Formats: sequence, C-alpha cells, structure tokens
Amino acid sequence: MATSVLDPRNLVDIQARPKRSATQILSWVLFLASIALYAHFSSVRHRENSEDRIVPSAKQLVQGIQSSVFHPAEEDDDLDPGATRWQQIRHSMIWKDTVASGSRFFIAMALLVPAILLGLHMGIFPYFGAFFLRYVLFFDKIVALSLLPILFIVFGIDEWSKIMLMVIGVAPTLILDTCQITRAVPREQIVKAFTLKCSNLDVAYRVVFPQILPNVINSVRLSLKPLALFLFAGEMIASTDGLAYRIAIMRRHMGMDIIIPYLLWVALLLFGLDTLLRFLNRRLHPWL
Amino acid sequence: MTPWRLPQKSAAACWLRLAVICSILFCSLTQNSFAASAPKFVIGWSVYAGWNPFFYMAKSGILRRWADKYGIQIEVQRFDYAASLDAFVAKNIDACTMTNMEALDMPAASGVDSTAIILGDYSDGNDAVLTRSGLKLNQLSGKHVMLVQKTVSEYLLERALVLNGLQDEASRLKLVNTSDSDIAGAFLGNHSNQVVVTWKPLVSQILDQDKGVANIFDSSKIPGEIMDLLMVRTEVLHRQDGSGVKFAKAVTGAWYEAMAQMSGTGPGHERALNESAAASGDTPASYSEQLKTTHLFYTPKAATDFNDSAAFKQKMDLVRQFCFHHNLLGEGTQSVDDVAILYPDGSIQGKKDRVRFRFDSSYMHLAGQGKL
Repeated sequence: MATSVLDPRNLVDIQARPKRSATQILSWVLFLASIALYAHFSSVRHRENSEDRIVPSAKQLVQGIQSSVFHPAEEDDDLDPGATRWQQIRHSMIWKDTVASGSRFFIAMALLVPAILLGLHMGIFPYFGAFFLRYVLFFDKIVALSLLPILFIVFGIDEWSKIMLMVIGVAPTLILDTCQITRAVPREQIVKAFTLKCSNLDVAYRVVFPQILPNVINSVRLSLKPLALFLFAGEMIASTDGLAYRIAIMRRHMGMDIIIPYLLWVALLLFGLDTLLRFLNRRLHPWL
Repeated sequence: MTPWRLPQKSAAACWLRLAVICSILFCSLTQNSFAASAPKFVIGWSVYAGWNPFFYMAKSGILRRWADKYGIQIEVQRFDYAASLDAFVAKNIDACTMTNMEALDMPAASGVDSTAIILGDYSDGNDAVLTRSGLKLNQLSGKHVMLVQKTVSEYLLERALVLNGLQDEASRLKLVNTSDSDIAGAFLGNHSNQVVVTWKPLVSQILDQDKGVANIFDSSKIPGEIMDLLMVRTEVLHRQDGSGVKFAKAVTGAWYEAMAQMSGTGPGHERALNESAAASGDTPASYSEQLKTTHLFYTPKAATDFNDSAAFKQKMDLVRQFCFHHNLLGEGTQSVDDVAILYPDGSIQGKKDRVRFRFDSSYMHLAGQGKL
C-alpha cells in the first residue's frame, strides 16, 4: 500500500499509514499557515500605516511582551533600577495579573469538588437524585451571565462575585455529567459489592467513585474553557486586576501589542493545566 | 479496495485536477463586482445626547437631501461606542463620532490621520463624580472608585483632584474598572460602594434611585475640555475625485440644518427633539434634561468661535498630557509630541512631521457663511 503523502488517493484512504515524519510535518502546517497569514496581514497594514496597532508587527509584539514581562503596571511604583531580572518579573504586570486571575480560577476549581461529590450522590442514592436532579437540570439552563447584577448585590464587586459566577456557570453541568457517569456504572457490580458485605458508603466511595474518577477528570478538563470564559466575563465587567482586566484596559487604546501576548499566555496556561490533568489521570489510572 | 475510492490514475493527474478546482473556487471568491454609482460614505455614531441628532438627520431625510445635492451617498450606522472606534480605526467606516480624548488615543495614536470637521458640543455636566454619605473630594483617599478606566471618566476624576489641589491623592485611589453596562446596577446594589464616576443618562438614573448619593464634581466645572467631534479620516477628505470634500460639505450642511431645528421653535423643533430622543430610547423629557448639561453649538459661529480660540489649544493640551501620562498614546510612544495636533490657524502642538489629528473648521465656516 502506498503511504506517500504526495499521492492524493491516500487522503481518502482509511487504512493509510502515514510515516512518523509525515504526521509531524502535517500537524504543524496549520500553525505555520496561521503565522504566515498573520504576518501577511500585518505587513500589508503596516505598509499602509507604519504605526498600525490593530495587527502589530513582530517588533511591536516583542516590545509588548517585554513591557508586560519586565515593567510594572503603570499604577504601581517603579522598582529601583538595580533590581534583578527576577525581581522585575515578580513586579511585572503579567505576573500580578496572572496571580490575581489564577487565584480566582483555583478557588473556583476547588469549589467544584463538592459539586462532583453531589453528582456522585445524586447518581447513586435515589433520595438525593429525587431531591436535586430536576432542580439542577433546570438551573443548568440558566444563562449565568445574566445573573451578574444579582451576584454583585449578594457578593459585592470584589472577588466573590467573580468566583461565584464561574461556579454557578460551570457547576450544574459538572453535577449532571457526574450523575450520568455514576449511573453508567454496571448495577451488577454494586450488587456484587453488597454480597461481599460492603456498606452503602463503601459502595459509593470505594467501588463507584474510583471507577468514575477518570471520566470525571476528563469532564473537568472540558470545563476549563467555560471556567476561563466566565472568569474573563467577570473581570471585564468589574475589577482592579487580572488578565482580562488588562485586556479590557488595553482595548481602550487598541493595545493589541499587549493583548495578543496575553491571549497566547492564557492559552498556554490553560493548555498546561489540561496537560497536567491528563497526566494525573494517566498516573492515577494506568489501566486506562 | 473500497468501492468509493478515486479511480486509479497517476498521482500527478490527481494533483492537477485538485489544483484546477481550487483555482476556480479562488477566482470566484475573489471576483469583485464594481458597481459604478455615486461614491458612498458611511458615518458611524453611538448613543449620546450630542450625537443622537445624526439619527434624526438620517431618518428625516435631511441628510439624503444634502447628499443628493453633492451627488454622493451617505449612510448612517449605529454602533456601540467602543465598536464604532474599532471600526473607524480599522478603516471600515469613513467618519465617526467620538470625544476629543478618544480621537487622540484611538485613531491618531494608531497612526490613522484624522480630521475633526464638526465640533458638535462639549460636556457641560454630563459626566459626574458621585459619592454616598456626603463624602467629599478630600476624603476619597483609599476608597474604591467605580468607573470605566482610561476614559473621560478617569480624566474628569483627575481634573477634579487637580483643581482642588489634591493631585497627590490620585495614586491613593483604588480604581475599579467597571463596564458601563453594569455600573449603575452594581453601584446602587451595594452600599459599600462609595464613589462612582460615570456619564448621563446613568448619572440621572443613579441620582433618581438613591437620594443618599450626591454629585460632587461634574464636567460643567471644566467646560470645553470634554468635546464631542465628528472625525473623518484625512485620506478620505483628500480623495482625488474630490468626493471626500463633497462628503464633508454635505454632512456639515445637514448637521446645521438639524441644529437649527433643534434650537428653534415650531413643528420642526418638536420633531427633531422627539426623534433624537427616540434614537437612544429616551423620553423627550429625559432627553431635554440631558441636553441641559450638553453644551451644543447650535450655530456654526458658536462652534468656530470656540474652535479657533486660544483657550481651545490649552484645553487640548490638558487632554493630550493626560493621555500620554496614562500610556494611552501607546506603550512605545516616547514623547507627548509624537502625536501632534494641527489647529485651524495652522499652528501645531507637537512635532511638525508627526501630525495625526487635525481640527479643520473650514466646513463650519462655510456653513456659517451660507456657502454650502
């Protein structure tokens, strides 16, 4: 069987076995194409207007990255000039923003743990299911963003309204998903566990929970994006720091030279977190 | 072999076929149809007491009449404010309403050379600093202040402190960047929020709903510093076929016809006010209330007198210094003079070779002389 990428017939061959090198090259093509397209647009716009800020050139981007990584946010006091690189980075605006957004993000993620346990209980204990399921199903369909004015009143405009926006936006879906996953555990196993003298809690936490955990972690991985979206929405509407706060401020004067590095940084952070969770899943559940 | 596989041909032939299909698709996508008709111009505007007349101009047919007179087409399109600026800087629209501050830090600082052809009004109380429980300007230290940062709201707050000798307090305020869509609700909903800086009609909403809130400083104390302009890209004005100049003349003519109706009395007056109010979904009563704190230049003479005065340059200087100190002219801009401003008398604020923002009162003068 021909395996060369040069033969277009292989494009529709299910049984084609591309070489490792071909797979590698193909997987980078779209990245390169995007960069090329961006560079093209940027150079066209800069030929027309050398100060264009909408599609910043490589030079402007490098400057933007430098000022976000080494310079403090303008409202902060400047460091003394003798500061080391590391001190500069610790006082930079991207560090400050990342710490602010990151702490919100992780608090919200920690608050998702009870949601997962609730989903487990709903899936396995019929009375829990009867009490919660219909309500969560309904609550899940509420567009959390439209609740924001109420959240402001209840939780103030500081940290908690943003964290609760993330939790309220993501938790119901996660609860329902965990409940579904729990219900998919074969009934026979639960019966078997009872015949082996398991208690109710043993079945829930020692038989069912370890089995659903891999799928639940995958579900959390899929929730990272909505979490980030809600975090951004909250920070753009009212805040004093954070990654999305900076983007909102920069938008006021077309600071795309800062916004684009920030977006890439956020993507990188989320990608890293996703990889970490995937790695964790593999280590915890090597049989998968 | 799977039955739906491509017929066995040489690889080269397959590629050739693909290439032909792709090129046909590409050609059909990029083919543009050039309609040979009157040149068309698009004005972007956003909801604001001083800009709502654009809606009336378009709806009443005034603009159409002036466009026909000059043999061009003019379309008026409503945007959110931030989106209108984006569209203008991206050159998707030819003219746009904006404040003098945004004219400086958005198009001009991005290298899009722009010209202010109509000086419509200045904020004469539309923007205000509001506080709860009798808080005064000298008591704001360490307090959270809700506002849309890097806009005229922050400018107003800073001017309030400077005019009261409190400029050192500026760094001790905790500014909370709050979207204008939520600022009124967020401020009213929680009594621990003590200070807010915003604009009308939000100011009126807040003052109406909470009697414990007081206006401690507003833009009537800095008259003429927050101006509302109609900006046109300079390259549009200089189009070879002269259509850009026709556009500027037509808009200016239509604007002052609408202004005459807004200021006069009679049936035209009533309709102009009602439709301008409807442009922002306001009642005529609330719109009239907003107009009281908007210093509209109803006549071309009033506008040109202010535009050509010496005080005008001082006010613009305050704004450009503010923009520079807040990095609004761009992270890489080293000097405030890198974004230079040209005034109607030919004088330049900043470097001569870096003029990006022009005030051209000639169209308003023509309107005043009845020569449009």
